[in-house]
Amino acid sequence: MRRTHLFPIVAIILASAAMAAAAEVEPAIPARPEQLKYPALAFKVPDAAAMRVKLANGVPVYIAADRMFPLVTVQVFFRGGRYLEPAGKEGLAELMGTVWRTGGAGTLDAKALDEELDFLAASLSTSVGGISGSVSLNLLSKDLDRGVALMMDVLREPRFDEARLAKAKEDMLSDMKRRNDETEAIEAREWDRLVYGDDYWINRLATKASVDAITRDDLLAFHKLLANPANFVVAVAGDFDRAAMIAKLNATLGAWKPTVEAVPAVPQPSVSAKPGVYMVNKPDVNQGRVSIGHLGVKRPLPDEFALEVANDILGGGGFTAWMMSRVRSDEGLAYSAYSNYSIGDLYPGDFRAYFQSKSSTCAQAAQLTIDIMNKMRAGEVTEKELVTSKNSFTETLPRVFESKLRTVMRFAQDELVGRPHAYWTTYRQRVGAVTVPEVGKAARAHIKTDRLIILVVGNVDAILKGNPDHPEAKFDKLGPIVRLPLRDPLTLKPIAD
Amino acid sequence: MAKRYLLTALAVLLVAGALGAQQVQVREEVLPNGMKLLLVERHDSPTVSCGWVAKVGSVNEPPGITGISHLFEHMMFKGTKTIGTSDYAKDAEIMAEQDAVRAEMEKEYTLLREKLRRGEISGNIYDPANMTPRLKELRAQLEKLFAAEKQVIVKDELDQIYTKEGGSGLNAFTSEDQTAYFITVPANKLELWFWLESDRLANPVFREFYSERDVVREERRLRTESTPTGKFDEAANAMFWESSPYSHPVVGWPSDVESINRAQALAYFATYYAPNNLTAALVGDFDSDKVIALAKEYFGRIPRAKTPPPEMITDEMPQIAQKRLEAEADTNPEVEIRFHAVPFDHKDMFAFQLVADLLNRRTGRLYKALVEDEKVAAGEPYGMYRPMKYEGYFEVGAEVKDGKQPQDVEVALFTQVDKLAATPVDDHELQKVKNQELANSFRRLQSNFYLLLQLLIYDSSGDWRFLNDAPAKLQAVTAADIQRISKTYFTKENSGITTYLRKSGSATEDPELAALPAELKAMVKQQVAQIGQLNDRAKLEQMLARMRQMSGQMPPAMKPGLEYIMKKAQEHLDTLPAAPAKGGAAQTTPPAGEQPKP
Repeated sequence: MRRTHLFPIVAIILASAAMAAAAEVEPAIPARPEQLKYPALAFKVPDAAAMRVKLANGVPVYIAADRMFPLVTVQVFFRGGRYLEPAGKEGLAELMGTVWRTGGAGTLDAKALDEELDFLAASLSTSVGGISGSVSLNLLSKDLDRGVALMMDVLREPRFDEARLAKAKEDMLSDMKRRNDETEAIEAREWDRLVYGDDYWINRLATKASVDAITRDDLLAFHKLLANPANFVVAVAGDFDRAAMIAKLNATLGAWKPTVEAVPAVPQPSVSAKPGVYMVNKPDVNQGRVSIGHLGVKRPLPDEFALEVANDILGGGGFTAWMMSRVRSDEGLAYSAYSNYSIGDLYPGDFRAYFQSKSSTCAQAAQLTIDIMNKMRAGEVTEKELVTSKNSFTETLPRVFESKLRTVMRFAQDELVGRPHAYWTTYRQRVGAVTVPEVGKAARAHIKTDRLIILVVGNVDAILKGNPDHPEAKFDKLGPIVRLPLRDPLTLKPIAD
Repeated sequence: MAKRYLLTALAVLLVAGALGAQQVQVREEVLPNGMKLLLVERHDSPTVSCGWVAKVGSVNEPPGITGISHLFEHMMFKGTKTIGTSDYAKDAEIMAEQDAVRAEMEKEYTLLREKLRRGEISGNIYDPANMTPRLKELRAQLEKLFAAEKQVIVKDELDQIYTKEGGSGLNAFTSEDQTAYFITVPANKLELWFWLESDRLANPVFREFYSERDVVREERRLRTESTPTGKFDEAANAMFWESSPYSHPVVGWPSDVESINRAQALAYFATYYAPNNLTAALVGDFDSDKVIALAKEYFGRIPRAKTPPPEMITDEMPQIAQKRLEAEADTNPEVEIRFHAVPFDHKDMFAFQLVADLLNRRTGRLYKALVEDEKVAAGEPYGMYRPMKYEGYFEVGAEVKDGKQPQDVEVALFTQVDKLAATPVDDHELQKVKNQELANSFRRLQSNFYLLLQLLIYDSSGDWRFLNDAPAKLQAVTAADIQRISKTYFTKENSGITTYLRKSGSATEDPELAALPAELKAMVKQQVAQIGQLNDRAKLEQMLARMRQMSGQMPPAMKPGLEYIMKKAQEHLDTLPAAPAKGGAAQTTPPAGEQPKP
C-alpha cells in the first residue's frame, strides 16, 4: 500500500524536476504568435437568479457582497424618462435629474444635504435619461446606515428647492447656448431629427421657452410618476453581509408600497427623412463630419449576432474593421472612421457609419464608406475576418462580469428593459454559430444602401468643391442635396445661412 | 452647531485612522536589462490588464522635432519584422526608396523656406499653392512607393491578432511626460501579450512613416483646429510656459511634424525606448512567478542602451509679470487663471491637491462665493492641480454668468485664492476634503485597468509608490501648509490668465437680423461691429444723424438693413457715459473699484 503510493509521488517529483530543467533551458520563442499554445479559460457566466432577491414590496434586487474595499454601492434604477415629458415642458427630465439631488430632501434643505453628503465623502446622484434613470449611492461602508437614510429621503421626499431649480435652469440655458459651437453637437442633433422624425420624443428638445415654463409643481408631478417602486430594479454590491443588507433594504425600500401603476410603454418612431444628402453649413471649420445610415431595429431579432458581426467587420471593430482600414489607414482620409448598429430593447436603434475628414476629401471618404457597405451586402467577408470578429465578442465576455458591481448592474439593467438572462448564457454559443453567408444575409436585410441618409456638417462650399485629384467623388452623385439650416440654439428655429 | 461639527469631525478622524488607507500589494522586479515590472494579482475575473510605459513625452523634444513622441506612438502600431508585413525584405527596400525621395523633397523644402523668409511666397511651405514642379514630381514618386508598400503590408495586424484572441481596448496615449501602451487580455492568453509587446520593442518597423502623417494632421484638425477653443488652449499653454519645453503642444508644431524623418525616429527610439527607460505593469488574474519567468524570456532579449537617456534640464524661469490672453471664440464667456506650482513628488503637492478639493463641488468655496453669493459665475467653477514631472500648475476657472463680465469673475477668483493665503482653513472644512480624499483612495483602486494606468503614470512621473504613500501624506497636510503655499504661489506675478468672449455673431442670432437677405446681412453685421468699437459719443451721434437723413433715399430692399444698423447704434450709444457738460463738472461715475479715496 505504502509502496504503491510512494512510487507515483516520486515519479511526479522527478517528472516535474525534468520539466523545470527543461524550462530553464529557455524554450525558444515561437516564430509567430499563432504558434503559441494556451491553457483553457475557466469562465462561467454568473448566475443571475442566485443574485436576485425580491423585497417585501416586490422590488427586485440584484445583490453581491464584495469585501475587497470598504465601499458600498446601491443603485436604484427606474423605468420612465424623457419620453414622458408633457408637451411644452421639454427639458423637464434633465432638470429633474439635477434638482432631485441638488434641491434638498426630507428634513435637510439643499445646502444641508450637500454639506452632510460631502462630509461623509458619499456620492449620491440622480439622473433621468431618455427611457430610464437612476438614484445611486456610493460611500464608505461604515456610513451605510446614514447613507441609506439620506438616499430614501431623496427618493421619497425631495424638496426641489426653488433657488436650486432656478440655478439648474440657468445652467441649462448656458449649455443650450453652446448647441452650435461644436460641429459634433450639430451633427448628433440633426442626425436624430433625420432618422427618427421631428415629432418623435428623442427630438422634442428643450428650448428656452419650454425650460422657462417648467415649475416646481411640474417636478413634483414628474417625481410622483417616476419614483414609484413598481418601476424599480435595484443593484447592490460592496462591503456588507448579504443577509444583513437584505434586511436593511427590506426595512427601508421594501417598506414603501407602490402607489400608482407602472409607467406607460415607450412609443415607437413612425417616419424617417427621405434618402438624400443633408448638409449643414458651419463655414469656420476645416474638417467636415459625415454620418451615413438609417433607422435600425430592435430585439428580439433572430439574426442579431450575424448583424453584430457584420457591423463589427464593417466599422464597429476599430482598427480591424474595413472602414478604419480603408478610410484611415489606406487613404489617410480621417483620424477616426467607425460604424455603429445599435439594436434597441424598447425602441429601434439606428445604423450610422461616420467619420471626420478635411473638407476636400469628405465626398471621397463617403463614397468609399458606401462601397464598403455594398461589399458587406455582397457577403465578401472572409473566414478569417469572421473568426476574428466572433472571438472579439466571445473572448471578451468575461469583461462584462469583471467585478461584482458590474455584474449586478448588468443584470438589473437587463431586467429593466426585459432582456432575458438567456441572452448571456447562450451568448457564446449564438455568436459561435454565425456563418459567412449569414453575415451577408443579415447585412442585406438590415443595411439598406438604397435608403441611406447622408448628413454632412462643415464648410459646405469647400466640401461640395471636393478634391481636384478625385473629381469622380461628388456628393450630388450620392443623392439629392438638401441644405439644412443651422438652428437657433435657444428656439431651435431655423436661422438664415 | 460648531460643537456638533467638531464631534463629527473627531469621530470621523478616529474612524479614518482606524480604517487607514489600503496598501496595494505590488511586486516589483527589475530585469537585468533595466526594465521594471510591477505586478498586482487579482483573481476576481479571468482577465489581465497589462501595459508598459516609455518615460518620454513631448517635454523631451527639442525644437525641430516637436510632436515626435506622438507620431511615434502611431508608429508603434505599424508592426515589426514579423507582424504587419508579408515580405519584410521587399518592405525594407521600399522604405529605403521612400527615404531617398523624401530626402530629395527636403532639399526643395529648404529652398521654399528661404523663399518664404524672403517674402517670395506666402502661407506655409506645405501649401499646395507653393508646390514646385520638382516637388510635384517627387510627391508622385512617393505616392507610387506608398502604393507599392501597400502590396506587402498586412493591415493593422497587431490589432487583428489581439482581437482574434480576445484582447480588448488596445490603445496608447502620449502626454508631456510619458507614452503608454495598454490592453486587457483573457487570463489564459497572457503569453500573447509578452510575445507581441516584446516583438514591437525588439524589432519595430516604422511602416507608412510618411503616409501616417496625414492621419496625424487629421487628428490635429479634429482636436485642435475644428474645436472652438483648441487653438486658444494651445496658445494659452505656449504663453504660460516660458523656458520650459512644456510650452509646445503634445501633437507638436505643424512645421516640425511635417519634416520629421526616419533617421530621427530611429535615434529617438534607440534612446528612449530602450528597456532601461521602460516600466511594464500587469493587474489581474495571473501567477507572479510565472509572469516574471515570461518577462525574462521575452523582454529579457532586448539589450539595454549603452547610455541612459539625456536628462531634461531646462527649468521654467520664474515668472516676473502677469500674462494674459484675451480670446474670442465660439464659446460661452469664461475665465481661466493658472499659477505656476510644484511638480510631481514635491512635498507640497498634497497641499495643492487639498486646495483644489476645498475650492470644488457645491460645498466648495468657489461655488459658494461665485455662484451663490456674488452671482458672477455660471455652472460649477473649478480648481485643479496638475503636477507634471518637472513642473506643475494650479488652475482656477469659471464660466461667466449672463450679464456679467470676465473681469467680474477674474476678481472673484483672485479674492478666493487670496482668502486662502490670508486666513487658515477651519478644521471642519479641512476634515471634509480629507474624508473625500480617503474615500477616493479606495474608489481609485477598484478597476484593474485604472489601477494599471495609475501604476504606469506614477512610475513614469516619479515613483509608483506614490499610489500607496499619497493617502497618508494627504491626511497629514495642515491648515498652515495650505496657507503657506497659497501665499507663495497664488500671486498676480505668478499667474497667466485666459479670458474667452463669445465671438460676435456666433451666439444666438437676432431674429430681425436673421430675416435679412444674406449679402445685406453680412454688410449690416460688419457695420454693427464697427459701430460697436466706437466709443466717442459725438461721432456716433453724427453718424446716426447722417443715417436718418439717408434712410429716406434708400432703395426699399436696403431699408430694413439700415434701420437695423440705426437701432444697434442707438443701443450702443445708450450704453456710453453721457458727455461732460461744457465747462461743468464731470457727470460720469468712476468705474467700480476706482472710487476716489476719501
